[in-house]
Order: sequence, then C-alpha cells, then structure tokens
Amino acid sequence: MSAGPALVSILRQGDTLVASIHTALDDSEMIRFQNDLVHQIGEHRARGVIIDVAALDVLDSFGSRTLRTIAEMARLRGATTVIVGIQPDVAYAMVQLGMGRMGAHTALDLEEGLAYLSSMRNRRRRAAP
Amino acid sequence: MNEQKTEDGQDTVVALDGHQLLPQLVAHLREHRDPLRDEWASRIREAHLLEAMTPQEMAAETTSVYDNYVEVLETGSVEALQHYARDLSERIIPRGVETHEVVGIVLLLRDVLARSLFEKYQRDFPLLNRVLDAYEPAANRIANTVAVSFVEERERVITQQQDAIRELSTPVLPVRERLLILPIIGVLDSERARQLTEQLLRGIRTHRAKVVVIDITGAPDVDETVANHLVQTVDASRLMGASVIITGLSPTIAQTLVTIGVDLSKMNTIGDLQGGLEEAERLLGYRVTRTEADDAS
Amino acid sequence: MGTRSAARRRDSRNLSWRRAVHFGAGRHVCRRPAPSSRATTGCSFGGPGRPAARMVTAVTSGAAAEKSSEPGGPDEDVAALIPMLRRIVGARVGQHPAAEDLVQETLARVLAAKDRIEPGMIEPYAITTVRNLVATMWRSDDREQRNRHRLHDPNEPHDIEDSVVATEEQSAITEALGRLTEREREVLLAHEVSGRDTRSLADEAGSTAGAVAAQLKRTRARLRVEYLLALEKVEPPTDRCRPVLLALSSADRRRQRELDAPRHLLECDLCARLSAPLLGRGPTREDEVHVPITSDPDIVAARQAARELAVRAGFSGTDLTLLATAVSEVARNIVKFATSGDVTIELLTQPQPGIRVVARDTGPGIPDVDRALEDGFSTAEGLGLGLPGARRLMDEFSIVSERGRGTTVSMTKWFDKKG
Repeated sequence: MSAGPALVSILRQGDTLVASIHTALDDSEMIRFQNDLVHQIGEHRARGVIIDVAALDVLDSFGSRTLRTIAEMARLRGATTVIVGIQPDVAYAMVQLGMGRMGAHTALDLEEGLAYLSSMRNRRRRAAP
Repeated sequence: MNEQKTEDGQDTVVALDGHQLLPQLVAHLREHRDPLRDEWASRIREAHLLEAMTPQEMAAETTSVYDNYVEVLETGSVEALQHYARDLSERIIPRGVETHEVVGIVLLLRDVLARSLFEKYQRDFPLLNRVLDAYEPAANRIANTVAVSFVEERERVITQQQDAIRELSTPVLPVRERLLILPIIGVLDSERARQLTEQLLRGIRTHRAKVVVIDITGAPDVDETVANHLVQTVDASRLMGASVIITGLSPTIAQTLVTIGVDLSKMNTIGDLQGGLEEAERLLGYRVTRTEADDAS
Repeated sequence: MGTRSAARRRDSRNLSWRRAVHFGAGRHVCRRPAPSSRATTGCSFGGPGRPAARMVTAVTSGAAAEKSSEPGGPDEDVAALIPMLRRIVGARVGQHPAAEDLVQETLARVLAAKDRIEPGMIEPYAITTVRNLVATMWRSDDREQRNRHRLHDPNEPHDIEDSVVATEEQSAITEALGRLTEREREVLLAHEVSGRDTRSLADEAGSTAGAVAAQLKRTRARLRVEYLLALEKVEPPTDRCRPVLLALSSADRRRQRELDAPRHLLECDLCARLSAPLLGRGPTREDEVHVPITSDPDIVAARQAARELAVRAGFSGTDLTLLATAVSEVARNIVKFATSGDVTIELLTQPQPGIRVVARDTGPGIPDVDRALEDGFSTAEGLGLGLPGARRLMDEFSIVSERGRGTTVSMTKWFDKKG
C-alpha cells in the first residue's frame, strides 16, 4: 500500500480480526482490502472477522457485493463475519438499491459485533462436547 | 378593485334601484334587528342546525352574522364579504360545524329577511318587486360567497391538520432498553412509509436498539407499495443490527406480502402486539415472571 | 564554471547559461503539448548553421568558440554580432516594426555587460539576451491583447521558447481573421484596433449599438474557434465540430444543450482537445459540476462532487446518500463498460429544487435497455449494470443508448421536503 494515512487497518485480537475502513475506497482499493483481509484470515486462522464500515457514507452495489464476498470467503475458511457500523442513511440506500441482504451478520457497532462473536463462541463451545 | 366590481355587472342593478331602495331596505333591517335575529335563531333551532353550540354562543354568533350580513347588503363590498365569511368559518370550524349547516343558516337568514321585506312592502306590489329585485341577487351572492369561503377555509384547516398529524404520527417508542416499538396507525402512503423508515433507522442508532416491534394492527390497508416499504424497513433495520418483529399482520396483508414475493418465513411475524413484545423480550434475553406484588395491585 | 556563475549573477532575470543554451539549442521544448505539425514548424529554428547551433559549439567546445570570436577588439566583437542578431530577431518577429529596436537594445546590453563577460562568451550572451528581449516583447503584447478583449488566451509565456509559440499564435490569429467574412472583420477591427465604439458603428450600419455589440460578441467567438483550428492547422472532421465549438466559445448554454455538446466532446478527440481553453468561458457556474470518468477513483470523485453540490445547495437528509449512491452506480457503469465518459451534476430550481445527474459514455451501448433495467425487487443483479438500483434511488430516470455510440443516463432527485 502507498504512503499517507492508512485507508484501512486490520488488527488482530485473539482469534478475531477487526478490519476498519477509514475512508471512502475506490473499487481497486476495495479489492485490495478484500485480498488482504482474506489472506490474513487464513494466516491467523481467525474464527471471527469484524468489518467496521462506520466511516463510509456510501455503500454501493460494488461495495456491498465485496463485503458479501469477503463474508462468504471467510465462511469457507471457517470464520464468522460481522459487519458493523452501517449508517442509517446508508442502510436505507442499500435496501433501495436492492442490496438489503448482506449474507453476513450485521451489528450496530464494534462492541455489538464483538458481543455477537463471543456469544457464537459460547454456543459452539456448548455444542461441542 | 372592489369599487370597480360594485359599479358594473350584476351590482349595477342593485346600485340603480338601490339608490333609493337599498338604504331604505337596510334601515328597515337595522330597525327590526332584534326581532328578526330572534326569528332567525329560532328557525335555526327548529332546523337542528349548529347544535354543537351553546345558546350563549348561538346568540353571539347570530348577532354578529346578522350585523355583518346587513352591512354587506349596504356596502356591497366583495372584500368585506369574503373577510366576514372567512372570519365566520374560522370561528365555527373548530366547533365542528359542517358545510351544510353553514349554508343552511345563511339561507335561513336570507328567507327570514325576505319574508320581513315581503310583509313590509306587500301593499305596494310593484315596489315589492323592485325591493326583491334589489335584495335577492345581493342575498344570493352573500350565501354563495359564504359557502365557498367556508369550504376553502375548511380545506386549509384539514391540510394543516394532516401535516401536523403526519409529524406526530410516526412515534418510535423505546419501551425498554434496546427495544423499540413502532406502531403504525392510519393510512400509509409511500411518503409516510419512507419517513417512518428513516425515523426508525435513526431511532435504532440513538437507542442502540437490538429489537424493533412494528405493529401494523392500526394500518387499515397495506397495498403492494406499502408492503414493499415494510420489507425494506425490515432489511434496513437488520443492516443496522436490529431484528424486526411484525405484529398485527392481518390475513389480507399477509396475502399481499406473499403475492409480491416476500418470503414470510424470513420475516418474524407474530399475531398480536402482546406476543410480539414477549418474543422481543425473549430475544433480548429477558425472562418475564409474574410476582406476587403484581398480582396484588 | 566561472563563466556560468558570472552570467547568472549578471542577468538574474534570465535563465542560467546552461539552461538557456541547453533548451535553446538541444531541443525545442514547446511548453504546451503540441501535435506533430506544430512541433515541426516550432522547432525549425535550430537547423545547422543557425545561431542556435553555433551556441552549442560555443559551450560544449570552448576552444572552437574562442576561435570564432577572438579577432578584433572588444567593440568590434560587439559590432560583429549585428548580422547574427538581425537574423535571430528576423526569424522570430519577421518584419515587426520593433525588430531593429530589439537588435539595438541587445547590443546596448551586451556592451554594458561586456567587461564582465569572459572572452568567447559574448556571442552566447548576446543570443540569450536577444531571445529574452523577443520573448518579453511577445509577452507584453500578449498581455495587452488579452487584457483588451481576450481575443485569444495563451498561457503566459515564461520560457524563451514561448517566443516561437507566440509567432505561431500570431500567424494563427492572422489566419483566423482571414476566415471571417469581410463585414465581420471590418467591424471587429474597427472596434478592436481603431477603437470605434459600438454606437458609431451602429449609426454607420443603420443598426443599434446592442445589435453591433451582439455581432461583435459572435465574431469574437468565431475568431476564437478559427484561431484554435488555425493553430492546430486542422479542419474539423465532422460538421458538428464547428457549431459545438462555437457554442462553447460563445458560452451559449442553450445552444450547447441543443447540440448535445458534452456528448460531442466525448466522441470527437479534436474538439475535446481544442475546447479546453473554451470551456471556462462564460460566468463560472456554481450550480454545475463536471467530472470526467476514466478510472476507479473517478467514481468516488463523482459521488463526492454530487454530495458536495447538494450540500452546498442546502439539501440534507437521506436523499443525499441516495443521490451519491446512484451517482456511484452510473459512474461505475462508465468505467466498466465504456472507455471514457463523464458525469455532469447540475442544480435545478424549476419546477422545484433538485439535482440532475447526466452520465455520458462512448462505450458500446446497451443492446437491450429494457432488459438492463429489469430485476426482481430484491436481487438487483439484472445484467449487473446497477441501473435498476440507481433508478430506484432517484425520482426520475431515463436512458438513451445507441449501439456503438454510447449511452446517456439522465436522472433527477427532487428535494421537495425540508429533509
């Protein structure tokens, strides 16, 4: 990636990756983000992925589809994806656009996303033995 | 403008004859103001008009209407007439007065006054004819203007009220932590459905809601457009991390949803609001138990 | 080394020796991108045996240079420069009345500086000085002309090489003037050169001052177009070119719309290039933004521009996001399916406040527009064009597509509510 303020950041917290998009991304940056994230999911054997899109004022068809793809690829690698921080206006525009179904769990914010992942973990643990 | 108006057309007739007759006529009506007004008021009562008003209000209104009426006859001013009619409407619309009542009382007054003129001039038939020729067009014009002004005023008030209701009618109610209720009451059009969705989405963020109960018991018809909006609202809420429970779904509305291809199995629908709230609490992890204290109260 | 620094000190307004010589002799760097026709004429001064070529010799091989300017005393040295200076000036300004003045001025400067010039460097010094004087003269002429009436609008010449450009511009102006009708030319020159006012011209023609002013305005617009064409030495490839350029030149928005000027500029490379100096004409419009679309980042730029314009117009609320998202979709279509295009975002006041977005491209066109707009309510896949989605986001939507020519999507969002 180029110099300057980071467009995205991907942080690891235990078996969870927290990816934040800090600013509007163009399509190729979005694709690069997808590749980076999917790569890191494999590398760190992440079980949970949170994508924080609170900074985005637009999620158009391409953006939505990319998030959907990431969630799908993460699922294939055994990780659960939660998309957090979709703004009210953005949510409204997404359903108008016909992108109302994300194919991933969504949560209000990072805190909620983490709570969801930990509840999933507990459920799995309870189911496992 | 009004002066011009009174100098041409129909009014010319009035003015010509009125040169001698109208002042006479007006003087007569002024002179017998009280008995004529009482006569009018009793006719109104007989016709069961303006029953929403108390006798005191009736007395006040009939006096003021009577005086205005005579004044308009005297001046023939359209502007004064309209002004008077709008004033009257403004006063009586909030009392719940209907259009037919307003038209009714004005016509009654016209007749009461006509009859009194008839009595006064019946001995001189040609004169009576001329008096009535002067009086009738003016009186009809008053009746007409009053009716039109009343209807216009009523429409204005209705639009105003609709706007006010619209602003008030999309309450997003936080019932308890993280739970919102959105009762939809009244007719849902496209614009209102949209406002509703926007308000709900903002409410979800403000209240950090996890569950939303949308109750559509109070929405009489849900057509295809509104059903689509409903689906969008559910999807948008979900994007923000809130689950939606729809309650009060009538069989007809369920049918509409199925017709437009909504997969009802993907929507959380529950028969009534009570059940919806219980489901919401379950989703939020609450356990509702009845305590002895509750029973006692 | 010493020579270079001395010269730099002496003539600090000018470029250093090295740069001047390098640019002057090595290659003619025409500052503005020039098509080949212009480049050949523009660079014809540096032929063998010409002064410029000798300058190279003077610098690169000091011995040879010394040989050429060694004989005679200092003043003779300077006098010997005269024929060369006349040639240089002549090549640049032709029969310009100031030609001899330029030569003399150069000599005066060389004489004044002579003591400080190292032997053998007098000739290069003189050449640079004369070039600079010519350039300065053109520059001031240009500025005067521009300030007078913006007949043409060259960028300010900074480099010596611009004198070459300036000469070309002069001949282009002459050529352009020649393409006007006699009547147009007469009136224009009477007004611009002789300084006659519109009233007296109107009296003469039995017309009104307003009509003459309007005619002058049209003539200037035509002159600008003909000037640009003459400068490029081209004839427009289509019969739409001239009217479009003229509409742009006269800043006539109604005419531009009638001719669909933006689409023509997309389709016609020549006009796209020529129109650059014409586009800024007319009062700058706060209520319109134009975003060229060629690659990914332009999609983001377009939607941000739309949002900014809407915010500036006082709009707010969810509609802003809907608008930005729709712009994103149509802009992406351009990147995905066409080579180039643009998005115009325009503020509307009639019949109510709103924003109109027009996305044009020169792509292959959409074979079946109806199908492109099809989708189930919640799939939005359709042909993957994002068009049905954009249509739902906006209040009005229309597509015109022509196979092989491109697609124009127009859509409007009305902001009737307080938002």
